[in-house]
Amino acid sequence: MDLNFQNGEELFQFILLGILIFFTLILLIVVLNIFMTLKAVLNEKAGIKTEPFTLNNFWDRFNSLKPMSEEKDILLDHDYDGIKELDNHLPPWWLGMFYGGIVFGVVYLLNYHVWHWSPLQAEEYEIAMAEAAEIKAAGSDVAVSSIDENNVELLTATADLETGELIYTGNCAVCHGAAGEGGVGPNLTDEYWLHGGSISDIYKTIVHGVPEKGMIAWEGTLKPKDIQQVSSFIKTLEGSNPPNGKAPQGEIYTPEEAPATDAAEEAPAEELASVE
Amino acid sequence: MHFLRKPLLSAQSENSGGNLEGFYYDNKIVKAFLIATVAFGIVGMLAGLTAAIQLFLPAANFNLPYTTFGRLRPLHTNAIIFAFVGNGMFAGVYYSLPRLTKAAVFSKTLSWIHFWGWQLIILAAAITLPLGMTTSKEYAELEWPIDIAIALIWVVFTINLIGTIIKRRERHMYVALWFYIATAVTIAMLHIVNSLEIPISMTKSYSLYAGVQDALVQWWYGHNAVAFFLTTPILGLMYYFLPKAANRPVYSYKLSIIHFWSLIFIYIWAGPHHLLYTALPDWAQSLGTVFSIMLIAPSWGGMLNGLLTLRGAWDRVRENPVLKFFVVAVTAYGMSTFEGPMLSLKNVNAISHYTDWTVAHVHIGGLGWNGFMTFGMLYFLIPRMWKTKLYSTKLANTHFWIATLGILFYALPMYWAGFTQSLMWKEFEADGFLAYPNFLETVTQIIPMYVMRAIGGTMYLVGALIMVYNLLKTAGSGEFMAEEYAEAPALEKNVRVSGGHWHSVLERKPVLFTVLAFVAVAIGGIIEFVPTWVVDSNIPTIEAVKPYTPLELEGRDIYIREGCNNCHSQMIRPFRSETERYGEYSKAGEFVYDHPHLFGSKRTGPDLHRLGGKYPDSWHFNHMLEPASMSPGSIMPSYPWLIDDEYTTEQIAAKINAMRTLGVPYEEGYEEEAAEDMMQQASEITGRLEEAGIEVSENKEIVALIAYLQRLGTDIKGQN
Repeated sequence: MDLNFQNGEELFQFILLGILIFFTLILLIVVLNIFMTLKAVLNEKAGIKTEPFTLNNFWDRFNSLKPMSEEKDILLDHDYDGIKELDNHLPPWWLGMFYGGIVFGVVYLLNYHVWHWSPLQAEEYEIAMAEAAEIKAAGSDVAVSSIDENNVELLTATADLETGELIYTGNCAVCHGAAGEGGVGPNLTDEYWLHGGSISDIYKTIVHGVPEKGMIAWEGTLKPKDIQQVSSFIKTLEGSNPPNGKAPQGEIYTPEEAPATDAAEEAPAEELASVE
Repeated sequence: MHFLRKPLLSAQSENSGGNLEGFYYDNKIVKAFLIATVAFGIVGMLAGLTAAIQLFLPAANFNLPYTTFGRLRPLHTNAIIFAFVGNGMFAGVYYSLPRLTKAAVFSKTLSWIHFWGWQLIILAAAITLPLGMTTSKEYAELEWPIDIAIALIWVVFTINLIGTIIKRRERHMYVALWFYIATAVTIAMLHIVNSLEIPISMTKSYSLYAGVQDALVQWWYGHNAVAFFLTTPILGLMYYFLPKAANRPVYSYKLSIIHFWSLIFIYIWAGPHHLLYTALPDWAQSLGTVFSIMLIAPSWGGMLNGLLTLRGAWDRVRENPVLKFFVVAVTAYGMSTFEGPMLSLKNVNAISHYTDWTVAHVHIGGLGWNGFMTFGMLYFLIPRMWKTKLYSTKLANTHFWIATLGILFYALPMYWAGFTQSLMWKEFEADGFLAYPNFLETVTQIIPMYVMRAIGGTMYLVGALIMVYNLLKTAGSGEFMAEEYAEAPALEKNVRVSGGHWHSVLERKPVLFTVLAFVAVAIGGIIEFVPTWVVDSNIPTIEAVKPYTPLELEGRDIYIREGCNNCHSQMIRPFRSETERYGEYSKAGEFVYDHPHLFGSKRTGPDLHRLGGKYPDSWHFNHMLEPASMSPGSIMPSYPWLIDDEYTTEQIAAKINAMRTLGVPYEEGYEEEAAEDMMQQASEITGRLEEAGIEVSENKEIVALIAYLQRLGTDIKGQN
């Protein structure tokens, strides 16, 4: 059984399973009780007296406890600073747990290290990665996951730009200023760019970063779609002239008629390859 | 002024016949340890509360290096374990030991050397830990001179313990004494083996073991510090104080025997469950898991013997605060000793490890079991030793309820936080991307839980303060009995006692008993350690892994000093969710030059094992200076002193030499060039920082730290 919950749904199913087991146990107890009652009735017919089952004596029987009145029979004659000890039997369920633990241990070791029924961690990892690759191949939205710097397009829909702004505020504003005026990082509102000002340049800069200048690579943190949205948002900042703007850095960028590449078809294969 | 009390002679039925001898129980040493228990308990809890508050209010470190989380957390754990529970244990032992053996403690002088030695060790810890003098090994952070002092004082305690038992007037050793003996021998073994290190200076040393082996030794120690410092001695105290307070016979002698021996034998093996899904060899991980599961019954044996002893005394539990505390303590013990084995199952551990779930788990044990046992013992002892009644039962009940609620307020949010965060770490979206790629998102999500945890901690502390007031008032209303007179018949020498049960024979032979207990606890460690040391295939070597440069080594020591490992792991588990987030999972061969290991056990921040090359130097500079400037909402404290303070090149030769002694392949004579190489690498870093507009001189600590952080995990990058 794999208990590595991947999401809330699996957890819910697990809890459901727990509840089912609980009710099964209750059912088992009821059946057991009926059995005990029947046995008592049969015994009575045969002339054997059985103590009726009550909650009070259940606990004592469960723990194999002597009634309090018979306690003096099992009192050991030691006395340590007034402390005495009883010679009660080990509770049967406790003993069962004790042996159960040992059996579990033996079976567990055999399972993993002799029979090799269950995968050890390295193999488990390979399996998980293979499964993930399959799921990804089957369920991924090609148009979204295949965005890269060669095919990225400028988004203009308000919804996209609003999402882009949110991403900007959460991730970029600390270095580039709340309004793009610059700070640790350069001003994003002027027409000067250090690494190019086209949508594809900006996308590329965000994905791979410019480590020597202090810009980190965001590909592990932001998804392609996110980066497309935030790049598009950044493009809207130009000319906004916020207060305290940082002095221009780099060169003036003049847009050229860049031919839009259409590499969407090749991308899924690359995507898969990068998983390995 | 002494109040003398003659014991009832009838209690000595077994030994009757010998000549009655008079002797005194020394209450003064008990009193001293009790005062230390209470005082350090409050201090330790305050340190914990401050650390807890820092997780949602980083400014609560007062912007001082000494009180920053990475240094405060070891102070909290050491204070609670060794100062609060430790002093409590000693108080209980010095009270119960002479009464159970019917003999004065072996040597009063040794008792006082023990007391003052232990307090000096605590003082030394309270000074050195905030100063950043640490080995980084959890619950064994103290540096080597203090380690030696601990070993010496422990020997003093052991002599006093065994000496008193040998001088006893009670032919058989009661079960509490078995637990005290196991504690004494095992802690000595654990402490010495885990603390083996090569000193560089009075305040700095390197662990003898490297990487995975160091982690294995560390968690063999760490887990069994829980077992033999927080569990066995407290079980011993339970076996004395619980039947005393309940005035009931102990439930089952048979259970005592079987749960004692199985507990000490099995416990020692379970350490590797702290390293599941790490680079530790699979077979060792499996041993950790199976011995943890086997441990449930032995642990529950102790709980049963506690709870079932109260059979027929439950009406008194309602009225007697002492029993109330004991009942909750023993119940908490049962809960955490069931939870622990569950957390040792691979699939549960995959969720719980590195999260606040573990924190919740240890606090059920710490606050519930250790805390409540100690409180119960205090409420029991103070009125007796001061010959008076408890000042206010009402206040004691208030303490009980507020502390119980405090535990719930502490633990429930932490369980919730651990579970929530773990699921967030693991969640993928359908397109194969992590649902929460930014680690910080999973932290900000659980900050409300951190606030509630601090409220729970505050309640617990308030309860303890109420207790202090109550106990002071109680002591004030009575008169302290410095000594108590007792009489017991001498044990007749050379008497042949009829055999009886085999174990009862053993109970008459303390030295043999001690030897057997030592054998029982030595086996597990030996079987787990020796193969990882001698069988090469357990730590496959990786060609590309090279020793740290001198500057990186210096940076690593700064990382250790600041206690970064308290919040950051360096051990990526082989899960898709981790390799996606952090990079290739960690391999045993990558840590062969890591003296000590820095695997960490909790991710308050992200794993750092593949941090190298991920961010520019300037990012690290800005981030260390003000984390929130680079990661808005970050709860990491600022480290401005790293930018002001300078490292020295004075010790680097000694460090290189020590590392070479430990097997790190630095060339002969390299120690002479090390300082120069340091400056060389430092100027490369400052050069890169300058390009990004940051002016900093080469000898600042931040430069060394950046060198280390940029090295992390890069040896096998791109190799796979």
